[in-house]
Amino acid sequence: MSDTAALRETPARETDLLAQLADLTCNLRNALDRFRLDSRLTALAEKEIPDARHRLNHVLKLTESAAHRTLDLVEQSGPPAERTAREAAALAESWARFRAGTISVADYCDLINRIDHFLSAARTDSETVRANLAEVLLAQDYQDLTGQIIRGVMNLVSEVEVVLVDLARLTGTDPNATEAQPMDSSRGHGPAVPGVDHGATIVNGQADIDALLSDLGM
Amino acid sequence: MSKDMKFLVVDDYSTMRRIIKNLLHDLGYANVTEADDGKTALPLLQNGNFDFLITDWNMPGMAGLELLKAVRANEKLKKLPVLMLTAEAKREQIVEAAQAGVSGYVIKPFTAQTLKEKIDKILESRAVPA
Repeated sequence: MSDTAALRETPARETDLLAQLADLTCNLRNALDRFRLDSRLTALAEKEIPDARHRLNHVLKLTESAAHRTLDLVEQSGPPAERTAREAAALAESWARFRAGTISVADYCDLINRIDHFLSAARTDSETVRANLAEVLLAQDYQDLTGQIIRGVMNLVSEVEVVLVDLARLTGTDPNATEAQPMDSSRGHGPAVPGVDHGATIVNGQADIDALLSDLGM
Repeated sequence: MSKDMKFLVVDDYSTMRRIIKNLLHDLGYANVTEADDGKTALPLLQNGNFDFLITDWNMPGMAGLELLKAVRANEKLKKLPVLMLTAEAKREQIVEAAQAGVSGYVIKPFTAQTLKEKIDKILESRAVPA
């Protein structure tokens, strides 16, 4: 009697068990997803994001030192270039008098001496400027290095984005539900980035600003 | 106003200060002092008899707009020409700067020619008696 009752009960119990098993599997999968996400998030937060900050800081240092190096070399090149131009202009005046045959003997002797001096000084000064330009060229190698680092950080940002979107999905948060906080404009926003900051609120170059200021009566 | 005018250049990036300083030298203005934000600039302005202020907007400590407002609120400094040289490109900010009494506004990246034009324009308008 009890055997037949048990047999009759079986389909219902089986369905129940199967449903529970399905629930369990689903929970287990969610838990595993969450665990995988959690461990990835931990790695990102504890290791990779601080690393990225150091990497970006290194980019700042590289770009800053390259800019200073370039500025140093440009500042060092100004005086020899100016000197050559100034001496050439002064010589041209005496030279013109020599060509016209109106130069005195004393001035002619002086001219010869000045030309001697100029030729050697111009060679040294031009060599200095040429060497500085070669250094300026080399100082631009920061672009390759910083470019590689920035690309690495961009990849990390993409990965963080994916993880955060997954997390929002798992926790049932709607990413569009909260509005971004507006920034205090008196502190400044930083440079406008093409393709990100656009539209009617952004001026388009100096001419646009001049027109706006002129509209304001300036 | 002559070429021995005293300039104060305020920018948090030392490279940008050097660029502006070099451009001013090329324009014949050799008397240039630097400051890295509004907080360090303000005491210099109060004690230094400066003839022209060039300032960035976005800086730590005291931002350029705040510095501009402080200058305009100061009896001794209120007539000082102030040129904003900044990457800030929102229309509302330019209006804000104009309302705060900015004398000129140059957007980064800028050219030597633009800087010269704006400085000349400000000085010309100052030269005309009100």
